[in-house]
Amino acid sequence: MELEGMEEFERELKQALERMPAPPGLKHRLMVKKQEQFAMRRRRVVWWQRLAVAAALICMLAGAWTWRNAEQRREGEEARRQVILALRITSRALNQMQSQLAAHNQDVQSQTRTGSLNEQE
Amino acid sequence: MASDWQPDFEALVDEHQSMVFSLAMRMTGDRGLAEEIAQDVFLELDKHLRRIESAEHARFWLRRVTMSRSADALRRRKVRGIPLWVRIEENQAVQVEEQSSPLGARLERLLSTLPEAQRAALVLRYQEDLTPEEIAAALGTPLATVKSHLQRGLMLLRAKAASHLKEYVRGT
Repeated sequence: MELEGMEEFERELKQALERMPAPPGLKHRLMVKKQEQFAMRRRRVVWWQRLAVAAALICMLAGAWTWRNAEQRREGEEARRQVILALRITSRALNQMQSQLAAHNQDVQSQTRTGSLNEQE
Repeated sequence: MASDWQPDFEALVDEHQSMVFSLAMRMTGDRGLAEEIAQDVFLELDKHLRRIESAEHARFWLRRVTMSRSADALRRRKVRGIPLWVRIEENQAVQVEEQSSPLGARLERLLSTLPEAQRAALVLRYQEDLTPEEIAAALGTPLATVKSHLQRGLMLLRAKAASHLKEYVRGT
């Protein structure tokens, strides 16, 4: 008796819980939303592409600027090295000249001294 | 495994919109929210369409995601502090008028007062005609728990029906 009652109740419940029809226009609204989401995704993709291009350009510019700076520094170092070399050569030449002048002055002084002694005799 | 089945989004919407909407509607008791859930579920399906292998897989996926989304929506409402059962009963009270059978309408209204887990099990059992094993798979719940929810839910619903719907029960 109890079992029959439960079966009857389950039958009633099954009838009560039949699927309801979807609201009219649900599919249309869904398709519109889908199109909107698709368009939004596309816009997002385009935005990311632009961002990637901008990032690549910035990287290229930064790379070029760094390379130019390094090149300028290298050229500066080279010029400095050449100037130091030139100064060393000049310094050496001046030293040689000074020592030659000093030797020449000594010769002149000793000749002058010998000449004056001869005149006194 | 190669399959001949080719998913067609529009055909899937046509075929399953009633099922998805009914599940969401019976779980939330709110027509607007149920439509919103149905739209979200189908948009999610569109994203996952490549992974759907068969018509049966699509049906299973839709049931599972609809129940999960409905549970999320109910949880969000609880967090916001809306007195859910009051709202469900208010909404149901308006919508049950659309039903052809008064007993069916009242049973449905009583169903909306059951705890969420029991309601979910009963809706899948009696709306979708699923076995306890299929319900367990759809809800991601152990089989024993589903059986317990079904049994307790049915007993509770019958007790409520006996106290609220005496004239109809006698009339059947």
